[in-house]
Amino acid sequence: MTGHTDMGIKVVGVNHRTAPLDVRERFTHSAHEVPGALARVMAAGATGGVLLSTCNRTEFYLVADDEPALDAVWSLLGERLETKPAGGAREYGYIARDRDAVRHLYRVSSGLDSMILGESQIQGQVREAWEVSRAQAGPVLHRLFQTALHVGSRVRTETGLGMGTASAASAGVAVAGKIFGDLAGRSALILGAGDMAELAAQCLSDQGVQVTLVANRTRERARAIAERLGGKAVSLEEAWPHFATTDIALCSTAAPHAVVTWERVGGIIGARRGKPLCILDLAVPRDVDPAIAQLENVFLYDVDDLQTVAAQATARRRDEVPSAERIVEQETDLFWAWYGGLGVVPTIKEWRQHMETLRAAELERALRQLSHLSPADRTRIEQFSQALLNKFLHHPTVALKQAAEEGHGYGLLEALRRLFGMEPPA
Amino acid sequence: MIVTLHLIALALYAVTTAFVLAPFLGARPAPRALTIALPCAGAAVHVIAISQLRPVGLGPALSMLAFCLVLLQLVSERLLRGSAVSFFAGPLATGLVGLAILSGLAPGAEIGGGGTQSAWFILHVVLSALGLALMALAFIAAALYLLQFRELKARRFGQVFQLFPPLERLDQLNRFALVAGFPSLTMGVLLALGYGAQFSGGLHAAKAQIVWGIFTWVVLGWAVWVRVVRHWAGRRAALASIAGFGAVLLVYVALKLTQPGAERFL
Repeated sequence: MTGHTDMGIKVVGVNHRTAPLDVRERFTHSAHEVPGALARVMAAGATGGVLLSTCNRTEFYLVADDEPALDAVWSLLGERLETKPAGGAREYGYIARDRDAVRHLYRVSSGLDSMILGESQIQGQVREAWEVSRAQAGPVLHRLFQTALHVGSRVRTETGLGMGTASAASAGVAVAGKIFGDLAGRSALILGAGDMAELAAQCLSDQGVQVTLVANRTRERARAIAERLGGKAVSLEEAWPHFATTDIALCSTAAPHAVVTWERVGGIIGARRGKPLCILDLAVPRDVDPAIAQLENVFLYDVDDLQTVAAQATARRRDEVPSAERIVEQETDLFWAWYGGLGVVPTIKEWRQHMETLRAAELERALRQLSHLSPADRTRIEQFSQALLNKFLHHPTVALKQAAEEGHGYGLLEALRRLFGMEPPA
Repeated sequence: MIVTLHLIALALYAVTTAFVLAPFLGARPAPRALTIALPCAGAAVHVIAISQLRPVGLGPALSMLAFCLVLLQLVSERLLRGSAVSFFAGPLATGLVGLAILSGLAPGAEIGGGGTQSAWFILHVVLSALGLALMALAFIAAALYLLQFRELKARRFGQVFQLFPPLERLDQLNRFALVAGFPSLTMGVLLALGYGAQFSGGLHAAKAQIVWGIFTWVVLGWAVWVRVVRHWAGRRAALASIAGFGAVLLVYVALKLTQPGAERFL
């Protein structure tokens, strides 16, 4: 931890390491909920905010004072909990400040903090979070997220962290393979038409699985995927009878509750006469009622299960972690130098202005008492005062700029303001 | 010489078994070539030993059964592209060879006439052993199926998930073993009936063996019937295979304990 603990960059949130899936599900914010949530946190004192909400994490990136804004986040998340632990949402979460917060986001965008080490989907999710929060991000977080995307790209191109297939989608293929053996010729039904559904459907199709149906709330989007994969687009209601025949059901809708329920498909699956059905539920919140797994021939896997499988395939990516961490560290240094300088420039300007005002006032008072001086002498005295001020200001200015470049500017600025009686920044 | 060859085969099977089970103890998996080459070498030594055996008595019968099991294990490994069958077949074959050595590899009590050297008798022993080995293989496939099934249902992704073959392949192996084992055992039992009538003065002389053979044939026939005619598959078929194999072993033990003269063969 470095620097100040007041106004600064903070990240507050929960992730797959600190909270189980059923808690993360509750904290998930869809795109339309983000502005409202951020507005609430910003009303508590944050000057900028970005909300990154994926199936593995819900994180508020803030430029804020410590307590009020952070309390607002915990309160906001806590309201979503069905059963509240003693410490509220805080019990599931973490806070990182300043440089640690910057490093955290860089590690997130690089895939270093993902459940599936090096997975690339997070890069798109970081971009999406930034775009959704653009109006509320502010200049510091704009810069932070812009550079985070750059760091993610650098890590993926300069190291082997992203090599191989270790995504939840490819893990789904591996699990289906453990049930059916050869997947060629098997049939799959896709529920949902988002990016995740399409990615997973493509993974299955690559293994020779015949995507027969793509079902979605809006048929247009389903049609686009169905055409690409050679299936048929249907509505969700039309999909239920196909649970009697399909081998694999891949569910990834954006529904806020389970859509594949016992009532809808329990009887239909019962008619399969023991034929195995592999259900891959990639959605958060989950699409499939867990009770469905009680049927003997149903093999149901949610995101946590698939990510566990995929995590096993990350062993060889681990060798690349040190190289990726080095890039993250370099980029954190660069950002921190920029961030330190960001506050220093206006403060130095303000300080010089403050000193200039003092000089001018004292000069005027002195010259009033030295009214007998000739204009040439008055000019000489004015030049002397100016030169003296410049001499006094030169070294502190250089030292401040240097400290800013090293990321230590904030501490000195704080001291400067106190020593010279300057008002704290608005 | 026969015992020495059996001991060599036993050692090779035991080392293979240790290699295939090593990953369950946290060790790195042995190279696949090694887990194929070692039982192949063991089978080569074993076949030399069997060729010198008189196929009469418990020891030779167990040795023949172990040999058939190792052959089936190698074929299954080839079909499944993995060493999962060895997890069960390896210890079983090793144990059978060990028991064969302990039981004595010289023939037990002779049964009348020179029938034990006839081609029909040898064919009976080979086909019966093959039928039983296929039944054991069906049992192994069923056990592997149930273990993998349990892991998949419980969403556990450990060594069983990683190392065991897919459910569908295990189900196919179980079906194949049952379907291939039935004609083999049928022929073995028919040859035993014919042999008993010709050389042993009637079927009563080998009553225990005949009872066990027919019981085994009925159980195997039932297992094939439920799979082929009733279209049982998956977990239900696996449970049926295990129950059938268990019943065969149980009746064998009961006959050994209650029927005098049963020790002459199995």
